Amino acid sequence: MLNILVLGLGQCGNRILDSINSEAFGGNGTFAKYYSNQKFPASVKTIAINTAINDLKGLKYTLAKDRFHVPHLHGVGANRTLGKKVFEDNKELIMGEIDKRGSFDLIFIITSTAGGSGSSFAPRLVEELKAAYNAQIICIAVLPFREEGSISLQNTAFCIKELIEEKPNGILLVDNQYLKKYAGDIKSAYDKINATTARRLLFLIEALNSEMLMVTDLGDLKTVMNGGVGIGTMGFYESNNGNTVKATILGSFKPSGLLFPANVYKEGARAMLIIKGDKKYLDLDLINKTIEELSTEVGQVFKGVLVKKGPSKVLSLFTLNSIPELDSLYASAADAIRTEKVKREESKRQLDDAFACIEELEPIY
Amino acid sequence: MAQQIEDKQNHPTARGLKRLAMAAIIVLISPLIMIAAASGDYGEQIFEQNLRVGEGIEIEHSVKIEVVDTSTDIIDSARFRVSSYLVPVRMLTIFQGDMPTEYETYSGARIYLEVVSVYGETALLRVTGPDNWRVTGYYEAEETETGSEPAAEAVTVPELEIKRTLDMTSVEQGQLVLVTFKIKNDGNGTATGIEMDEPLLRGTYQEGCPATLGDIAAGATVRVNYDLKIVDTPSGTYELEPTLLNYKSESGASYSSESSSNTLVVTAKEVLLPELEIKITIESGDDVIICGDRFPATVRIDNTGNATSGRATIKSHLPDDVRVADGDLEPVYESIKPGDYEEYEVMLIAYEPGKHVIKMDVMWADKEASASAEFWAERSSLDKYYPHILAVVPIGLLVVGIIRRHREYSY
Ligand SMILES: Nc1nc2c(ncn2[C@@H]2O[C@H](COP(=O)(O)OP(=O)(O)OP(=O)(O)O)[C@@H](O)[C@H]2O)c(=O)[nH]1
Ligand SMILES: [Mg+2]
Repeated sequence: MLNILVLGLGQCGNRILDSINSEAFGGNGTFAKYYSNQKFPASVKTIAINTAINDLKGLKYTLAKDRFHVPHLHGVGANRTLGKKVFEDNKELIMGEIDKRGSFDLIFIITSTAGGSGSSFAPRLVEELKAAYNAQIICIAVLPFREEGSISLQNTAFCIKELIEEKPNGILLVDNQYLKKYAGDIKSAYDKINATTARRLLFLIEALNSEMLMVTDLGDLKTVMNGGVGIGTMGFYESNNGNTVKATILGSFKPSGLLFPANVYKEGARAMLIIKGDKKYLDLDLINKTIEELSTEVGQVFKGVLVKKGPSKVLSLFTLNSIPELDSLYASAADAIRTEKVKREESKRQLDDAFACIEELEPIY
Repeated sequence: MAQQIEDKQNHPTARGLKRLAMAAIIVLISPLIMIAAASGDYGEQIFEQNLRVGEGIEIEHSVKIEVVDTSTDIIDSARFRVSSYLVPVRMLTIFQGDMPTEYETYSGARIYLEVVSVYGETALLRVTGPDNWRVTGYYEAEETETGSEPAAEAVTVPELEIKRTLDMTSVEQGQLVLVTFKIKNDGNGTATGIEMDEPLLRGTYQEGCPATLGDIAAGATVRVNYDLKIVDTPSGTYELEPTLLNYKSESGASYSSESSSNTLVVTAKEVLLPELEIKITIESGDDVIICGDRFPATVRIDNTGNATSGRATIKSHLPDDVRVADGDLEPVYESIKPGDYEEYEVMLIAYEPGKHVIKMDVMWADKEASASAEFWAERSSLDKYYPHILAVVPIGLLVVGIIRRHREYSY
């Protein structure tokens, strides 16, 4: 049994973590927690970490003892510099809380890149966790809606940069902007995105922990995440009855099922496919052949097969060689920073000019 | 020194050579002196005479020059003690044949001292300086004093260095700290009238700390110690201020020196005391005890203190209708170790229905602790209550379960 730790940082990370806990109850609605027990596909410990106590209060499916408030009331207001300081000040507390939960083989850190708390804690946590545990560390980074403004873009740019510098085993991107299509309003878009991310993560954990034949393990995960620039995302496809396994597998590479916009065939470096479904639909020969074909385009492809009742589902996980969408995000961030700077200087100059009017004058009463 | 004396005796030729070399050097540099003197760089001659060790002159009622010592070594030399108004005493060693040595007075005027020759304890001193400066007085060595001692002593300076060490830097209240001073006289004169000022630390007592010390000769080291008793200093980290030494030279000049400061951490004394706690648990199948039925009660005594307890006696207070059916309700324990516990079970019977309170005391040393437990006893009318119980229990459990879950998930 794998020991897995899932950390949800900041509001976004907390809420996705709550979704994971909710899914572990079977995703059966608000009251499930009163009558059923959580079923994780491995030994999973979760901790929601936040500076904003209200965000923690808003969670529903995460045990109170798994919600950890870092004492700096009401968040850090998207200020990463402040966030880092708060982390430093509370490092021992946070690491102590994690340490209480034993040791781990795999650690997921879930955070938005645009906020203050999560995005500043994540890189520091990677560093601390790497020093403290011999575990694989995968970051799940949620990118903002592009219209959220320049601070979000800046934070994202610096957060991803610092994350990469800390060298976790991999970074999986989830793009709010790209997934907006799921729902009309932001609130239900969040819920949808969170539930989707949660389900895929649990699917991945299940496959890694499974002891069935032809499964993928932590070593495969490491190799996949090590591909390309170490950044990737996840795709998913569930077959409508009658689809061949091949169609289902290819479906999981379709942009519509990805959590971040990418052209897997063009930009993919390495991939892992987890195929779950009824024995009678899982034609192993066809699976092998399909994967062979894919390997010519995507590079090394690992596969895992889980035999379970129900419709066939495929989860794809891959790393990318190049990420045009991220490049353009960095370009916008740089633009935003420059504009901000010019604006600031402008306002300062105007203020100085205004002050100049009363220079050498004394007030008269 | 002994080595050199031997040299002189055993190798007269070597000494002769050295002399020759010296003479050569002097011959070489003497023209320079001549030129310098001739050019008037050193001013007009004020004095040129033989002075014995202990003798001296005074110039212009201000500058005092006294012969302290002479030495007829490789190069002959004489040592002078020179002082003047507002200028600290200077010791000057002047070698025969050297360039005139400059001495500057407070006003900036300069005089120059030159040793022309040395014979035994007599040096021929030449002083030059500003025009019109005159010798205004003479000293003479007091014949009664032996040799050159008094004059030499007049210029000795004691210099005490004090080091303070504590044998522990972290103490508990009530403990003793041994404070040791190592006092060394680095000067060239005896230190006398030494007064030691050891600052007090709040809540401590200095046992045997001397206020004065005996004389310390030049070069000597003295060790002094005393016990610092930590009486009721609150726990914390303290800075022990430096020890101050005030002392005098034999000529009466005052000096002082101080040790560096030390830090001392005082921790509260750990009190070792046993502390017993008693707990009673009454177990009944369905939270109800039936009159006349035996039911178990567990009594547990925990030692939550940090020392082993002595004899612990247990006393019970049972309601009138409650009896002990089996077991000893009031055992005695000879000792319970810290962190350890004793537990025993007795069977009780209650005869009357209603609320019952059992009180238990545990007594040890001159202390006691008590606990009580409550239970309800009911007449055995199973038939009447059975359906209710059947319904209430699962619902109760369900509610308890839901409440517990709710608690677990509310933050
Ligand atoms: N997918 C998803 N994104 C969210 C959710 N909540 C917030 N976000 C995104 O997260 C970013 C804001 O970061 P937060 O996580 O709220 O910030 P934080 O880490 O709590 O930091 P501070 O509030 O600044 O202390 C924005 O890009 C939001 O769009 C959520 O429930 N789901
Ligand atoms: Mg927040």
